[in-house]
Amino acid sequence: MTVAVTKTEAERALKSQFEAKFDALPGNEWVRGLRREAFAEFDREGLPTRRNEPFKYTDLRALIREVAEFSETGNMPVSETDLYDVLGVDLDELDAYRIVIIDGRFNRELSHFDRAAGLEVMPLQEVLDAPPDWFRAEFGKVNPPPGSNPVLALNTAFMTDGAVIRVAEKAVIDKPVHLISVTGSTQKIAIAHRNFVTVGAGAKITLLETYAYRRMPFAQRNAATEMIVGDGAEVHHLKYQNEGVDALHLSTWMTRIGARAKYNAFQFALGGGLARSQIYARFAGEGAQADISGAMMQFGRQHCDLTMLVDHAVPHCTSRELFKAVLDDEARGIFQGKILVRPHAQKTDAKEMARALLLSPRAEFDAKPELEIYADDVACGHGATSGEIDENMLFYLRSRGIPEDLAKTMLITAFIDEAIDLIEDEAIREAFKKISCGWLGCR
Amino acid sequence: MPAVQETVEQVKSLDLDKYKYGFETDIESVKAPKGLNEDVIRFISEKKGEPDWMLQWRLDAYRRWLTMEEPKWAMLNYPEIDFQDIYYYAAPKSMEAPKSLDEVDPELLATYEKLGIPLKEQEILAGVKKPDMVGAGAADGEPALDENGNPIASDMKVAVDAVFDSVSVATTFKEELAKAGVIFCPISEAVHTHPELVKKYLGSVVPVSDNFYATLNSAVFSDGSFVYVPEGVRCPMELSTYFRINEKNTGQFERTLIIADKGSYVSYLEGCTAPMRDENQLHAAVVELIALDDAEIKYSTVQNWYPGDKDGKGGIYNFVTKRGDCRGKNSKISWTQVETGSAITWKYPSCILRGDNSRGEFYSIAISNGHQQVDSGTKMIHLGKNTTSRIISKGISAGKSSNTYRGLVSAHRKATGARNFTQCDSLLIGDQCSAHTVPYIEAKNPKATFEHEATTSKISEDQLFYCMQRGLDEEAAVALIVNGFVRDVLQKLPMEFMAETQKLIGISLEGSVG
Repeated sequence: MTVAVTKTEAERALKSQFEAKFDALPGNEWVRGLRREAFAEFDREGLPTRRNEPFKYTDLRALIREVAEFSETGNMPVSETDLYDVLGVDLDELDAYRIVIIDGRFNRELSHFDRAAGLEVMPLQEVLDAPPDWFRAEFGKVNPPPGSNPVLALNTAFMTDGAVIRVAEKAVIDKPVHLISVTGSTQKIAIAHRNFVTVGAGAKITLLETYAYRRMPFAQRNAATEMIVGDGAEVHHLKYQNEGVDALHLSTWMTRIGARAKYNAFQFALGGGLARSQIYARFAGEGAQADISGAMMQFGRQHCDLTMLVDHAVPHCTSRELFKAVLDDEARGIFQGKILVRPHAQKTDAKEMARALLLSPRAEFDAKPELEIYADDVACGHGATSGEIDENMLFYLRSRGIPEDLAKTMLITAFIDEAIDLIEDEAIREAFKKISCGWLGCR
Repeated sequence: MPAVQETVEQVKSLDLDKYKYGFETDIESVKAPKGLNEDVIRFISEKKGEPDWMLQWRLDAYRRWLTMEEPKWAMLNYPEIDFQDIYYYAAPKSMEAPKSLDEVDPELLATYEKLGIPLKEQEILAGVKKPDMVGAGAADGEPALDENGNPIASDMKVAVDAVFDSVSVATTFKEELAKAGVIFCPISEAVHTHPELVKKYLGSVVPVSDNFYATLNSAVFSDGSFVYVPEGVRCPMELSTYFRINEKNTGQFERTLIIADKGSYVSYLEGCTAPMRDENQLHAAVVELIALDDAEIKYSTVQNWYPGDKDGKGGIYNFVTKRGDCRGKNSKISWTQVETGSAITWKYPSCILRGDNSRGEFYSIAISNGHQQVDSGTKMIHLGKNTTSRIISKGISAGKSSNTYRGLVSAHRKATGARNFTQCDSLLIGDQCSAHTVPYIEAKNPKATFEHEATTSKISEDQLFYCMQRGLDEEAAVALIVNGFVRDVLQKLPMEFMAETQKLIGISLEGSVG
């Protein structure tokens, strides 16, 4: 489109902030180049509108009216007790190594991962200031989204810190690694942070990313994680998003999966006023297997968008995707999932399913499960359903003396658990189930 | 797999390049000057002797069109179309003022004869020739066969409106239809004879500025069919239109308007062919259907425009806007389409389910071979209560073609009790083709139940093995499996269509195995 568009207030604010904060952002000359390039890319098109097909249902230009100040440091400290409040008993008790990011900054005091053999963790800020060769070779190139992506471009332009995680070849990390990103500021702030994870060949790790808030429910977050799954590695990659009800949550996962690797991903979204999560996964070696699933539970006027692209670039890979959405009040759930099978990616086996349960007459579900297939010897399928609680099931339970409210809760729980049950780590799975019950209880 | 001897012979017995409607009729024609401007629109309007309101309507559309941009979202690749390099009006010279069929140029009649479309009523009445119409027409009077290989004895009458380039050359059975109260005539005639109906309904389903191609069509449309079925009438015969592009560098922009008044029923068939040429030709039609209370419209299409040669040279660019409006309660609109032709297909027959309890159906078989590109599907917009819709789409891609299903199912706030079932399956034959599925599902009502399923696969080795192990050769086995694959849709076609289509599928897929 050649139509000249006037910049919105938010776009102008982003530009002036970028110019004002550029010098203070971490990174050597190479990183500064990346930032400039990324911002120029963003500036060309501005915030995406619904005319930009991947943002059809999430018109960020219309939805983001104002941009908060990108924080240099949070103005309030966060303590261990605060973390307990943030995580809740179920996740706080999780026996895991911890990496804590407060307001987009790596926090050494609250993190503990030193005893994990084969695990190396560094603050991104330090790596950006003096990037080693292995980092330069891959950073930003692991699996970038096709075309220009304004959400990722903003992340690259403004990223302050994050975690760089390296898992040595054949290392088996004995406990889950819990990467906790919390906003603690009492002011409305914007933060951008980025994680970079490489998992060596044959290694095994469970990584849980938690996004939550401590004090005020209106932060604007832009987070991204790049991950390389080495040949034959096994990665369980999870995300728990419980931002404040007025918060903006933008997130991008970019994953490259090596040969014979196993990649199990799960995203659980509860919070955020406006949330957009992007998952890009690409098979880079034959014989790999990916299971990318998720669940969202939304109420009030929440808007939750999950957009995914699974790129079968090589033959003989299998992928499974199952997404569930429970939508109450005026909540809007969006699922866009594309399976791309490139030419010569024969023997691909891909199945995708999205299901929504609408609990209120004002809730809305939009789905776009897409197949783009350029190879003939494949078995691909997708499905999508939307509807309310099945009256027959409800009747069955009620005729057995179960009160209506309880019967509904049972049916919703069963619905959402079908997805949560795909999580292999038992402790995390049970924690998520308790969280979903809690959501139903206080709904 | 190399083609077996039988196939080679079968292909040889077919016309060159397998497209048997590729001949050209040498006939003198009257054309508008090349290109598009207000004068050309005035020229078209004047040729049709249109009243002023019609001309203003066209000019308004043209002015809007100038401000619009070509849609680029479809998965189609084609060079920029030069809209000034097209003739927007072409009519056989002899068509200046024919009053009856007897006055029609015999050359034209012969053309339709060759296409298997008899325009002489007495022939049909005498049963000399099977009135098999439209697109899939059996070549040279060869009888169509039913499933058991017996010729179908058809005593069914079909009224035909034959459109040649920009004008309607003949409309058959008008009188018999008039007895039942059914109006079936070229739209250019309806503008004069039934202006109140045209004014009321034209552009009421597809608004003038709906999309780039519909707006272009609104400005330059030349002919097409107009059907009005009055209250409570069941149309006594099948109606059909046969579109033929003949002239070089000419676009065809026809417009069809079908109105089924309360409690009426009509079944309408449409077919199309064009000569084989090296350059691409544009076809941008608009079809509007309106079903009032308790009415039913069944619209079937066999689209067999010239698809281009084996190197992808030439062929028709088919950009069509088709939409039905179930305006009344308990109304029903059903689209059935068999798409085998065109270099490019961009077409989404849709239903607006406005009336309570109304129903929309879409059955489609889209076959692409060679370098064809298809981006087709449907939209089911549920507005009324208890509206139901069903989408069955079967895409088959072979050769180097690309075949996309793009569909929207949406339920608005008030569409309580809406139900949709969608199934779109794709079959890939050969490793250089592609198949895509792009469904949009928008549910704004919890009492709307939507189910969507899609699969993409190649013909299963097991099925092939099973058939071959029972003595079928590979080609026959593939044809059998493909016919089984599209069966759900085939069954929705009118009887004589079905046999033709089965054959057409065979021809379209010829040589694509291995």
